[in-house]
Amino acid sequence: MPKNTQQAGKPISPSSEEVLARLEQLAKSIYDQIQSGKPPYLDIPVRTLANTIWDKKRKLLVLGPKTAKREFFDIGESKRFMQTILMLSLIVRARRENDYPTIRDLYYTGKHTIYYVNEYGKKVSEETWDDQRESNAVIQDIEVATGLLREHMGIMHDAKGRIVGNMIIRSKGTEIDLSRMGSGAWGIPSNVDQLEITKVEADYVLVVEKGAIFERLNEEEFWKKNKCILVTGKGQPDRSTRRMVRRLWEEFDLPVYILTDADSYGYYIYSVYRSGSISLSYESERLATPEARFLGVSTSDIERYKIPKNYIIKATERDIKRAKELMNYPWFKESKRWMEELQLFIERGEKIEIEALSGHGFKFLSNVYIPEKIANKEWII
Amino acid sequence: MSEKYRGLSPAEFFHRNKEIAGFSNPSRALYQTVRELVENSLDATETHGILPYIDVEVQLHEDRPEWVTLRVADNGIGIPVHEIPNVFGRVFYGSKYVVRQTRGVFGLGVKMAVLYAQMTTGKPIYVKSSTRDSDVVGEYLLYIDISRNIPHVQKMRIKKKNKNWHGTIVRLTLEGAWLQSKKRIEDYIRRTALISPYATIRYRSPDGELLFERVSKELPEPPQIGKYHPKGVDIEILKDLIRRSNNNDMTLAGFLEKYFEGVGEKIAQEFLTWAGFQPDTKVKELKLADLEKLATAMKNFPKWRRPRPLTLSPLGPELLKKGVKSILKPEFATAVIRPPSSYGGHAFIVEAAIAYGGEIPPQDNVLLLRFANKMPLLYDEGVDVSRKIVDSIDWSIYKIKFPAPVAVVTHVCSTKIPFKGVGKEAIADVPELEHELEIAIRDVARRLRIYLSKLEKMYEVKRKEVTIRKYMGEVSSSLAYVLNMDPSSISSLLEELLKKELEKKEVTVNA
Repeated sequence: MPKNTQQAGKPISPSSEEVLARLEQLAKSIYDQIQSGKPPYLDIPVRTLANTIWDKKRKLLVLGPKTAKREFFDIGESKRFMQTILMLSLIVRARRENDYPTIRDLYYTGKHTIYYVNEYGKKVSEETWDDQRESNAVIQDIEVATGLLREHMGIMHDAKGRIVGNMIIRSKGTEIDLSRMGSGAWGIPSNVDQLEITKVEADYVLVVEKGAIFERLNEEEFWKKNKCILVTGKGQPDRSTRRMVRRLWEEFDLPVYILTDADSYGYYIYSVYRSGSISLSYESERLATPEARFLGVSTSDIERYKIPKNYIIKATERDIKRAKELMNYPWFKESKRWMEELQLFIERGEKIEIEALSGHGFKFLSNVYIPEKIANKEWII
Repeated sequence: MSEKYRGLSPAEFFHRNKEIAGFSNPSRALYQTVRELVENSLDATETHGILPYIDVEVQLHEDRPEWVTLRVADNGIGIPVHEIPNVFGRVFYGSKYVVRQTRGVFGLGVKMAVLYAQMTTGKPIYVKSSTRDSDVVGEYLLYIDISRNIPHVQKMRIKKKNKNWHGTIVRLTLEGAWLQSKKRIEDYIRRTALISPYATIRYRSPDGELLFERVSKELPEPPQIGKYHPKGVDIEILKDLIRRSNNNDMTLAGFLEKYFEGVGEKIAQEFLTWAGFQPDTKVKELKLADLEKLATAMKNFPKWRRPRPLTLSPLGPELLKKGVKSILKPEFATAVIRPPSSYGGHAFIVEAAIAYGGEIPPQDNVLLLRFANKMPLLYDEGVDVSRKIVDSIDWSIYKIKFPAPVAVVTHVCSTKIPFKGVGKEAIADVPELEHELEIAIRDVARRLRIYLSKLEKMYEVKRKEVTIRKYMGEVSSSLAYVLNMDPSSISSLLEELLKKELEKKEVTVNA
């Protein structure tokens, strides 16, 4: 089992002094180059597919060793260099002022117009960045260049993950009992690493793709009856949801089950929880849950659970194309069960949603499907 | 200098040959008349070492707008007072019947203009002229007596010269379509100014005044009067030369040595042996059949020396470039002259120039300006050898991407320009000429490519400077904030680094 030496449940964020020091060090290294008469550059690990390595043993996508020099005096990279340094100063300012901006805040704070005269003598202007993809990209650059994650740097995002179950969390000095949320649930904050998980009493973690299913299971107190922690990322999970799932698996040894729709989009969501995305492979070590088990709903469930015809939807061409792409992902490729399942999806060209199980009654999902699948070890990995 | 020619009625000749001479319609006729007079003026000046000053004026008749009065004045050598009637009033009379590069070949054009004017408006031609060494000025109003081919003087006045003026002023009124021809005429004047950058040309018309002041005081070497090259003869020339020799004892060998270029005793002997003639045959005794055989043999003998180019007067690359620059106003121009060459016994020299940018409008094709013996060729571009060459070139290898502001100028100088057809506006694709033209055009195109790549590099450096400087403020202030420093101390360091970076890439471009 991949276990970390970290004491389970303790916050694992680097101290804010250390974060600030590492950010300042990056700026200092640039200044040192300039002062010694060298054209300044940044050394940034390459974040492309070509520099991603599938770590078979750990079942993780990790960043390869390739780095790229981003030179200020190279006109192809000059702007990105400027953006990186600009973003660095914005983050440093937030840290110094103890501010917690979102990635969108940073985009707006750093966006302004540069006026200049071009090489043909014409007065023109340019924005420091045109859209948020550009500012997000340099945040990722700073993450890989400093080895700090944006959560460590106090950068927030619009966190949407929710969690409920028999566990206690300490956040900003307050203890929160996640079993006492009534009909509600606790919103997972941006920086999960600053949380202390003081108590977990559960046999497993159940992650459901959809917010509506999460609501229903919570309303039924599924987690209490089945002694589990219930989590949802509401579709494509954000980093904090994935981090929370990972911590529960890593620090508390809980098996993780994922419940999604039976289509290529649902399978991809499972894949993100399990192994991470290619563009963010540098975060996988911290965010991925390589042993996450896919509970369902699967294409083969259509037969096994005799799903009524009116719940079966025809897959679109895009669904099929996506499924074919998934068959090339290394973690799917080395799983015989997954290859069969994806192949079946492509052959049948049919998909079903979790709600299709309601064809056997509203409680079928909670009373039969989930407990049976877990008890019979009918998950896919 | 006067030679008698066969008595063909000029009126008859004119009617038969209106198209050939370029008087096919009132629009073409006006253009052609301008041409004839301007070219005569240039020949009367530059050929004799005078920096030309030419004044052209077009006026419309007040009551009859189809009547156009054209006045051309020059500061040329002038015409001796007693010769004026014959020069303007008698067809086939003139000083151009020699082997030398001149604009008009037969000296016929101006008389055609006089005839045309006379026939369409019934007005006499006005001529005023004085030579350099004369102390009188002659003024004439004259007609051509069409049936007798002699000038008919209506009025004549000879005055004592009070100023040291010399030159010729010609004024005539003809039926001309000014509106239809004005663009051509202006084009013609403009291009004439290009190919004669040592001339000042003033052009006044109902549309206003254009003044092309000379940009050079340097005249090209005037062409020398030369002998015929043996390859370039025909029976008529042989007959004419024999008649002119006026020597009953002249032998064939002596005749060849005396009247032909590059023919010495040795070559004359060798040729005559090769051709099967007795060197001591008297030329006066040669029969027509002998002359025919002689002419053919002279054309085919492979060992003649190449014709010498002394009879030619190209502009030279410096002058051509000046002309191109002053008229086209490009950002870059270059010109080249090829070594003399020949085709069929006729010497020729090719010059070419290329111009780029500036006031040249970008076009989908190369703008081509053709010249032959310093005359602009405006019509029939599509069938001209220069157009053929320009169109066959892949300009992308010279870094030209159309639409591009690029103009090619070609100038062919020859004792006999191989015109295509009778219009004298297009040069035929004689292989020797085509070869030289292509080399010349490609040569200037290569130089343009060098210029363009330097320019490209210069812009690249400039772009780099602009780009770095654009972001420098942001980088300096951001770094300064993080490191608690003064932004100006960082930006001055960056500024120094930038300077060093740019020095590495410094490029200078000379247009």
